Amino acid sequence: MHPAEALFDALLLLSMVVLAWQGVHARNMFRAVVSFMMFGLLTAVAWVRLEAPDIALAEAALGAGLTGALLLATLGRLKPERRGARLQRAAKLSMLPWLALGLAGTMTLLAVTLALPAPGLGERVLSAMPEAGVDSPVTAVLLNFRAWDTLLEIAVMLLAVIAIWSLGQDVLASTSRLPAPSLPALVRLLFPLLVLSTFYLLWRGGHGPGGAFPAGALLAAGLVLALLAGARVPERMTGAPLRCALAAGLLAFIIIAVGVMAEGGVFFAYPPRHAPMLIAIVEIAAGLSIGVMLTALFLGGEPTDTQGGST
Amino acid sequence: MTVFYFAGALFLLANVVVALARVLRGPTAADRMLSGELMGTTAVAVLLLLYGATGIEAIIDVALVFAILAAMAVVTFVRRTWPEDPAVDNEREQT
Repeated sequence: MHPAEALFDALLLLSMVVLAWQGVHARNMFRAVVSFMMFGLLTAVAWVRLEAPDIALAEAALGAGLTGALLLATLGRLKPERRGARLQRAAKLSMLPWLALGLAGTMTLLAVTLALPAPGLGERVLSAMPEAGVDSPVTAVLLNFRAWDTLLEIAVMLLAVIAIWSLGQDVLASTSRLPAPSLPALVRLLFPLLVLSTFYLLWRGGHGPGGAFPAGALLAAGLVLALLAGARVPERMTGAPLRCALAAGLLAFIIIAVGVMAEGGVFFAYPPRHAPMLIAIVEIAAGLSIGVMLTALFLGGEPTDTQGGST
Repeated sequence: MTVFYFAGALFLLANVVVALARVLRGPTAADRMLSGELMGTTAVAVLLLLYGATGIEAIIDVALVFAILAAMAVVTFVRRTWPEDPAVDNEREQT
């Protein structure tokens, strides 16, 4: 390894530790939020350095897009005296025990990693690839070999939306800040690009890093940008159509999982000749549904109070 | 050539560290947000250089996602977090 390469990694690691520390211990909340967002940025670079572009892509799409927007919007809703509040208890804790704890945790992880069987499951995945129906091993694991896990992940997201929506109404109307006359123009420019990238990542998921989660995050980013620019959920979309869109991913997943039982008799055992098509259907339905669900999380409540306007 | 790419990436990462200092020092929320945006732009450049060094094509996609989502944070910030009256900028610290 060349010195420049090693130095790059060392600097990256150091910045990440500083940012992680700031994210937890910063004296005001805004600083903590910005530190956390920047930590996500560098994490994506770190995943790239570890040659795990799939995870880097998910981190980039979720971290740079929706997580930051959710945290900043939440910060805006907090009362001013709380926003600048020092995190008294956290600040008083000295650095030393945390350092020791972090070191112990890293050592334990290292020991566990070394104790794991050496090649892992990678070889078994690669040997099963001809039956997977897609070229990308990651997508094959997510949507074929371990589709059950992905199904439950989507179910958890839907539950989160239901839980958040049950807490109150949407919060868009209550927050209007500075006038931003150029924002609609920017969104008109960015929204088509984001939708295009959504479908690009969905298509890319079949043979490389991409897939439903990053694609859904990009779609959600586009929709949230439109909401921030002043667009409202169209009235004819609220109620049943919106709820159907939210549940579409999970429904498509379950219908296909149960449907393939007719052929093979096993839950989620795609017949190999239909696998490419079935995976594509699940991927598109899940991607779009994830996009709507993430936007629903940002809305913070079921949109009921619509006074004209459209998306 | 790989060395050149890594030297460039290292230089840009050093810039990120400088931007990090501005994120930590502030003093206003807008300073922190803008240096955060600068870090985002630099990260796109770092990723493209890493692609040059490694040739893994998916890195371009990661850079694309960062570039296309760069506006997201600053738009949310302006619309949701930025105080209505700049005189009562609550993020200002007595440092």
